[in-house]
Amino acid sequence: MKRKSIILALLLFLVVAMVGCNNDDEKVTIEFWHNYSASDGQVTVLETLIDEFEEVNPNIEVKHVFMEWGALKSSVVLGADTGVLPDVLRGDIAFVPQFQSLNVLLAMSDFEDYVTQANKVLDSANSSNLMGNKYYGLAANTNTKILFYNEDLLEAASVDVPDTLDELWTAVSSLKSESVIGMVEPWTGIWNVGPYIWSEGGEVLSPDNSTAEGYINSQTVVDVIQSLADLYQAEELAGPSMDPGATGDTDGWASSLYAFELDGPWRATSNEAAGINYGAIPLPEGSEGSISVLGGENFMQFKNSSVEKQEAAWKFVKFMTEEHAQVEMAKVGQMPVNLAALENAEAIEAMPLLPVFQEALLTAKARPVIPEWSQVEDIIATKVAEAITGTKTVQAALDEAAEAIDDLLG
Amino acid sequence: MDQVIKLKKKRKLNRADWRTWLIFLPGILFVLLFTIYPILKMFVMSFFDWNIGFQATSPFMGLQNYVDVLTDPIAIRAIINTFVYAIVTVPLQMIIGLAVALLINGIKRLNLFFRLGYYLPVITSWVVVALLFRYIFANSGLMNYFLVDVLGVVEEPVNWLGSRWSALASAMLLGVWKGIGWNMIIFLAALQAVPKNLYEAADIDGASRRQKFFYITLPSIKGTVTFALVMLSIGAFNTYTPIAILTGGNPMHQTEVVLTWMYFQTFEALNMGYSAALSMIVTGLIMLVTVFLFGVTRGKKVA
Repeated sequence: MKRKSIILALLLFLVVAMVGCNNDDEKVTIEFWHNYSASDGQVTVLETLIDEFEEVNPNIEVKHVFMEWGALKSSVVLGADTGVLPDVLRGDIAFVPQFQSLNVLLAMSDFEDYVTQANKVLDSANSSNLMGNKYYGLAANTNTKILFYNEDLLEAASVDVPDTLDELWTAVSSLKSESVIGMVEPWTGIWNVGPYIWSEGGEVLSPDNSTAEGYINSQTVVDVIQSLADLYQAEELAGPSMDPGATGDTDGWASSLYAFELDGPWRATSNEAAGINYGAIPLPEGSEGSISVLGGENFMQFKNSSVEKQEAAWKFVKFMTEEHAQVEMAKVGQMPVNLAALENAEAIEAMPLLPVFQEALLTAKARPVIPEWSQVEDIIATKVAEAITGTKTVQAALDEAAEAIDDLLG
Repeated sequence: MDQVIKLKKKRKLNRADWRTWLIFLPGILFVLLFTIYPILKMFVMSFFDWNIGFQATSPFMGLQNYVDVLTDPIAIRAIINTFVYAIVTVPLQMIIGLAVALLINGIKRLNLFFRLGYYLPVITSWVVVALLFRYIFANSGLMNYFLVDVLGVVEEPVNWLGSRWSALASAMLLGVWKGIGWNMIIFLAALQAVPKNLYEAADIDGASRRQKFFYITLPSIKGTVTFALVMLSIGAFNTYTPIAILTGGNPMHQTEVVLTWMYFQTFEALNMGYSAALSMIVTGLIMLVTVFLFGVTRGKKVA
């Protein structure tokens, strides 16, 4: 008797559970991985936007998952093997070539209305999705680096805002005092030294990305790195990656230790939070102009999700790149790619530096879009650090970099 | 006598029927799936230019990955750093842990207070304490403040995290500090299991405290010492968080340990084959060390 009633209860439970499932059957749930920062209120805005999206599309449910930059990347690397991947992701533009080399990304340009949507966003930002003749993403946000300076420190030392790179190096030197270090450069990758190299007419790799010999170790690049080495060795330039005991850039800005830094929109947010009186201009010109580095994030979709989910995710991507969503994100520090949002008065009011960034974006340059980029940049970061700290001569270090990169690319 | 016991055991094993195996099964499956299979898979991977991703092909490389690892100056440096970390931190935390355990074992009052105090670092998050240590050892950190401004033993602030050995020393200090509590608890348990009558007999014979320690205490807890030694050595070879947070392998990969370098090769550079080969090499080294340690401790017992 007892057994029978247990079986009966189990059956009943199963029936109820299945009915429950059937009710939700029409709803498509998509998973969205991102690294919108929670501390800047971006996740709260995202949640509001998702609510709005779900209201317009009642049959789609968006489940968002926050991950740190590094976790986002390693989760996709692991997912390529295990199949545990999201339907849509927002991540660094540098992820696209690597994820594409893992063969997990959906060619989003195959969507019928991709071109229509892509036309609504900045061309330069979206170019980071192009591999071969297909686009494997859609630009989500863009950014580039501009020169931030601490107005109080410049005024106290009566140093003028520089117009050229040479003037910048002189200004950095003359700001050095007991309690002030002229400039900070948190890392020595191309994200950091690229703008100085490009602005003086140097290059990292050949135009077809096949070799570094004669490019990364050219006289122009040697001269640029030499100027940084001179500043570093005179303790006028700080580098937390070369000296892990140095004060980090955010802490250093907050305590008015650093006067200059070439950095992205987040520096404005943190400086305001710290109550620092700062200004910003596009990178001062070198002999070839002012060429900064292109950053930002893209939306990517994955080819192992079902067609249904791919369609739903694409709808969500379109929603997130329209003017409304982009303006809302601009209010919490994400620089829009949507052309209308870039002109939107609310966005400009929320991001007073938007015009400066837009000017810098006109000439900003993307890092080479190749799958081996992480390794190439690690070699450069290591060798440039050796050159700047004086472990090796600049020429010797960069020659070694060229050789190591060519070994890798060969 | 020995023979009789052996025979009994044998009979017992023979009588083990399917029910015994059924009880073992979940455990065996678990070990097979999560330990044996990954090791075998990694062993296979180490001979390929392993590419993950859909329909990815992985060309056979022979021993090339091993050659790559062994000719990579950063990998060699990482292995040396890891060895140094193990050789310094393991004996230090055992000796201090044992000393603390002896002291606590000898007192009646505040026993719980001291045990808790020494165990606290063990249960604190690695990330949190590593961040704290980074601030302590920063150029303008607490350590330099004490050395320069309070004690005045050095003129200029020491650049702790900026060079290979001083940064490793900071990481090792963190490792030792965090490990003392674990050793203390393990040794305390062992000490309390030492029969009291041995000490009473020694007292009657007029043995000194030193003699009691070397002839009674130490031999009695020998098994625990071996256990701690092996566990800590394996743990030291797997150190990651202190280095990752204190220096991140910087400057210029000088402070890289095996796991931080493996993480970079796996998740940044996507060199799965290289990482697999590095893992196999380290596994081999750990096995050698373990066998060596067992040999050494067993050898002492005979003497």
